[in-house]
Amino acid sequence: MRLIVFGGTPGSGKTSVIKYVIEELKRDFSMHYVKFDVLSTDDDALIKERFHISTEKKLAGDLCPDHYGALEFPKLIEKHKNKDLFIVETAGLCLRCSPYVNKGLGIMVINITAGKPSSYGPLLTEADIVAINKGDLISQAEREIYRIKLLGVNPNANLVETNGLTGEGSLDLVESIKNMPPTEGKLTLKKSMPSAICGYCYGNRIIDPQAVYNRYEKGKKLKNLLPNKNCGACGYKSCNEFIRAVLDGLVEKEKCIYLNIKRQ
Amino acid sequence: MVTKKITIFPGKDKKGDKENFDRLEILAGQKIGIVGPTGSGKSQLLYDIERLAQGNTRTKRQILINDKKPSAEFRHNPTKKIIGYLTQHMNFLTDTTVKDFLEVHLDARGKGHKKHLIKEIIESANKITGEPIVSEANLLVLSGGQSRALMVADLAYVSESPIILIDEIENAGIRKEKALELLSKKGKIVFLVTHDPRLALNTDKRLVMRSGAITQIIYTSIKERGIAHYLSWIEEYILEVREDIRLGKRVEELKLICTPM
Repeated sequence: MRLIVFGGTPGSGKTSVIKYVIEELKRDFSMHYVKFDVLSTDDDALIKERFHISTEKKLAGDLCPDHYGALEFPKLIEKHKNKDLFIVETAGLCLRCSPYVNKGLGIMVINITAGKPSSYGPLLTEADIVAINKGDLISQAEREIYRIKLLGVNPNANLVETNGLTGEGSLDLVESIKNMPPTEGKLTLKKSMPSAICGYCYGNRIIDPQAVYNRYEKGKKLKNLLPNKNCGACGYKSCNEFIRAVLDGLVEKEKCIYLNIKRQ
Repeated sequence: MVTKKITIFPGKDKKGDKENFDRLEILAGQKIGIVGPTGSGKSQLLYDIERLAQGNTRTKRQILINDKKPSAEFRHNPTKKIIGYLTQHMNFLTDTTVKDFLEVHLDARGKGHKKHLIKEIIESANKITGEPIVSEANLLVLSGGQSRALMVADLAYVSESPIILIDEIENAGIRKEKALELLSKKGKIVFLVTHDPRLALNTDKRLVMRSGAITQIIYTSIKERGIAHYLSWIEEYILEVREDIRLGKRVEELKLICTPM
């Protein structure tokens, strides 16, 4: 099984590009397609109807879609491990997360007409391939400049110019998918998620419910000890960030001056 | 590397049938017209050439440069790019000034040391458009004609590519002869998608497109060049009359004789 994760903001043309990729690959490979979205989507039904492959949708609802994705990945992969290709489509919504994992292929579809590359964060910086979509809407000079800026943000990305309307560039993506190794072994997220309240929010890359819970328990204990004043005396922006560093073994919890005061 | 020759090997039309030619060779200094109805695959052909396609585009065409398969670097590294492309687009999307835009593009093409060219680029753009561009103007407020003129000048001075692709220059509202002159300097290979009969007849040969394929290759005859010249004269005559009307003159005398070529 090979895992391919397509990320990209709403309207960047992910689904259009994916359709051309599936069309090229469906003859030679068995595949499963999952669409992660927040509120609603028909893409799973449309792709199933058009290409006759197995599809499903996962709606995150009130959960952060990338957190939800990380929680669902192991179950989904277990269920479809006999397929040749496992294609995930997801919108990176707050641009603070990366939906990609350490194995498999992370492909970002980016709309060249929407904003600077520097405003995209991990969705872009962690991608293996960046599909530059809608380049037909601007001049060659602007395309060249955009390319340079993209490489400034993610120097390791393999850049492919795509066109979701005509399918141009999809053959290059297909080639990369055909040449990638099978996805095996334990998965981790490429980038830790932002700080907030659950196990992931104490910053980790674990895709394993029990390990996430253990970390959450440890984090919660620390959280109760700390003043939660976000004073910054420890050198971290917030108490959560500090907790994360302690859990990662980067700093001793005694670095927090309040803990020292309490002890004395 | 000097670009002496570009060779196009046939691909497939929209129905999947092979194009009906063995190979198409274009030599340095030649100007090639691409004609055909809307949707016949003209822009796609330019796109295949820009990408230096190796069977990896929808048409599966293959393009060779100097009889060799071009390295991937020619396609991806803007400092090594040998193709300059004037698309149909009339607007810029980057929020920056004309001067900064040109600076960044010079850097991108590895010509950061040629910043002194900026003044010259804007001056030459202003020769092609009726409404002068100032270097501090924001790209976003340029008119369609100004944007296109700047794209032409940028292509001529910054990109300096030996192969030039031009998509419907006549729609730009700019002085197309001046623009073409600036772009098709000696020794370049120029591909010109056009619906303008005068531009189409002013080429060395023209490729006729139909449902995605090159279906005919027509070498321009001497008679056709003569007709192009005549059409040119008519067009200039129209412009003359237009100018007279704008200046408030009466137009009652009809000119009938065109100067022979």
